Amino acid sequence: MNLRPRTKPARSPKRGRQAAVAAAPRGKSKRRNHLVLKAECTLADAGELKSALCALLPQDGTVTLDGTAVERIDTAALQLLAAFVRDRRLAGAALQWQSASPAVHSAARLLGMETMLALNEAAS
Amino acid sequence: MTVDLTQFHDAFFEESFEALDAMEAALLKLDIGAPDPELINTIFRVAHSIKGGSATFGFTEIASFTHSLETLLDELRSGTMRVTDQVSDTLLKSIDVMRAMLRAVQAKQPIDAQRVSDLQFDLEVIIATKNAPPPATAPAPTAASPAPPPRWQVRFRPFRELMARGNDPLRMLRELHELGEVRTQIDAQNLPPLADIEPQDCHLAWTLELPGEIAEEAIRQVFDWAEGDCDLAIERLGDAPAAAPTPEPTEPVVETLAAEPPAAAPTAAESAPAASVPAPAAAPRSESAAKAESGPGAPSDSGSIRVSVDKIDELMNTVGELVITQAMLSQLGGQFEGPQAEQLRAGLGQLERNMRELQESVMRVRMLPISFVFSRFPRMVRDLAHRLGKQIELKLTGEQTELDKTVLEKIGDPLVHLVRNCIDHGIEPPEKRIAARKPAAGTVHLDAAHRGGNIAVEVSDDGGGLDKERILAKARSRGLIGANDTLSDAEIYELIFLPGFSTAEKTTDVSGRGVGMDVVRRNVKSLGGKIEVNSESGRGSRFTITLPLTLAIVDGQSVAVGSETYIVPLISIVESMQLKDGNVSRLSGKGEVFSFRGDYLPIIRLHELFGIAPRTHELHEGLVVVAEGDGCRAGLFVDDLLGQQQVVIKSLETNYGHIEGISGATILGDGSVSLILDVPGLIRVASMRVAA
Repeated sequence: MNLRPRTKPARSPKRGRQAAVAAAPRGKSKRRNHLVLKAECTLADAGELKSALCALLPQDGTVTLDGTAVERIDTAALQLLAAFVRDRRLAGAALQWQSASPAVHSAARLLGMETMLALNEAAS
Repeated sequence: MTVDLTQFHDAFFEESFEALDAMEAALLKLDIGAPDPELINTIFRVAHSIKGGSATFGFTEIASFTHSLETLLDELRSGTMRVTDQVSDTLLKSIDVMRAMLRAVQAKQPIDAQRVSDLQFDLEVIIATKNAPPPATAPAPTAASPAPPPRWQVRFRPFRELMARGNDPLRMLRELHELGEVRTQIDAQNLPPLADIEPQDCHLAWTLELPGEIAEEAIRQVFDWAEGDCDLAIERLGDAPAAAPTPEPTEPVVETLAAEPPAAAPTAAESAPAASVPAPAAAPRSESAAKAESGPGAPSDSGSIRVSVDKIDELMNTVGELVITQAMLSQLGGQFEGPQAEQLRAGLGQLERNMRELQESVMRVRMLPISFVFSRFPRMVRDLAHRLGKQIELKLTGEQTELDKTVLEKIGDPLVHLVRNCIDHGIEPPEKRIAARKPAAGTVHLDAAHRGGNIAVEVSDDGGGLDKERILAKARSRGLIGANDTLSDAEIYELIFLPGFSTAEKTTDVSGRGVGMDVVRRNVKSLGGKIEVNSESGRGSRFTITLPLTLAIVDGQSVAVGSETYIVPLISIVESMQLKDGNVSRLSGKGEVFSFRGDYLPIIRLHELFGIAPRTHELHEGLVVVAEGDGCRAGLFVDDLLGQQQVVIKSLETNYGHIEGISGATILGDGSVSLILDVPGLIRVASMRVAA
């Protein structure tokens, strides 16, 4: 009794979430645990990034962030990523960077956020 | 544009006294030896704003003194000087002196120049001698080794809105990196869970260390753009680059303090700040106690108190009822006969006078000059003009027009919208103006005046005027009107008040999102007012906001028309006279006119207008009240004049509905209701009737 109403409506929002994740990473990857960051990760699109990250937050397994394509990233985007990494870790969930562009590395270093972002493990 | 600054003096004094209280409180919290940079910043800001204000208002002594004070505070802020007991003492004395100076200026009395110059001298001595020894050397002077290259510590704590204002901390840190090697320590303690983050809010803070060779000025410049959007503390670290960015001086502090209050153990790091409080606090307190005029606890410092508007409304209502009761008593008193009647009447007369005073005082409590709203515009116009590359002259008139505080508060935003619109859309760029043979600088004029029981606030400009064609085209493209609809000018202008309507070619951050005008109209309507637009192509446009004086008490002349009594506001009466037969002439289609001092004025027969059976139809048997409103004059034909009295306006709009020609109603002494005439409206109604 209890299960049905809970699983059913949960499905459709999930599909919506996938769409959001897919929309953010230019629709390249359809994998659920994967987020491809756009070339421009700035305040202008930070809302989009936030909803994509929020959707990834509860995912099981290892979430992969792909920062290869990033050409420009600002504090707003990094702040969201930092909160994401921290929240993910607090929940005991796994996360890894597939790779990150020099732009991401340099911005994170300047802001002193490399450790917070767990970027050290990522290959540039 | 000249603004009479004296009107702002009171506000300046009040703010300054409050600011000094805050400064004193901050100073008293300040730990000797390990001052919280935030507190020093607070103190500095207070001094700075008082200096600015006093310079603006021409209080040169205060400005000069505050300048010295500010210099000292700047040294403390930048860390080149330490906060010592002596410094803290002098700062507290400075507060006393500043209070005394402000009080003297406020009372238009001479400033105690000796006291001021003595202290200023002290301040300058302190600045000149620069108690610079780094705190580390104080407890152990023998161990003073040549310090390793000192480093800068920059504590950069952006306010939440820093990024939304277009500043990116990343850019600033990158610039800092260009100055030299930076050690960066991020503070993400305040970073909320991801789901709660507003992407444009900044929740991060940084502590940065830079090589000491870099000029402080260069570091400050990096943060120039963020000034006001962040807390910034730049300190010189006396020691070698510390592993932890925690300020080194904490240790010596405990030691120096331990020497003073013997009880405190050096290990009790937390107790140290607490212990330090009584020491600096005690000194100024005993000192100011000696000077009776400047007791720090005296609440008489600020000459005003804040009272909730509800309380005043209640008071106002009670007074209104009292006025009615008093009028009733006066009327009754007139009917008494007998030996004590005279005494009764004298008492009633006294009551009436007191009543009038009471009413006026209560009214005045609620009324504020519109300059409170107008005063924000010079700065706003200046900034906007600057940003848009336009030259604008702002003209303010009628600033002393008083209006009800609630109305005043709500009229601010609509006015801001209107003025922005005038500057953004109305006034053309200088080149265009010159080409149109207009002065390069456009004029925006704000005017306020009482008009027939209303307040009229006008915002006008001498820009291009509303572009009717563009408005029409826009409305058609939006489907707001049909392609073939023909609209009158007034109807076209009406379109701009529709939600989402904007003709600006591109949206600027100034105006043009189409949220402005409909909000303006809604706000004005919610105050029971209306807004009208007049525009002339190439000559400019004029927005007139008319607001009712809902809470007013008017001096009125009661007049009799048939069995009814009406109140004509005294302010609109020119004179009252009896007409002779020969004075009146009839014009076909234009009603009756009479000659009045070389003019011909229309006669408005109130009984006809209101459909009442009058005592007389003959003009020479009744009286004509010559009244004026909105620049028009007319003769109101009435049966008789009854008397003058103050009446409390009860709004008809809130209790019934709007009637053209009537501004409100009042309750007379005998309990009957009488309508208050709105002369300009009446003239409009009458002229429309004649024309029809």
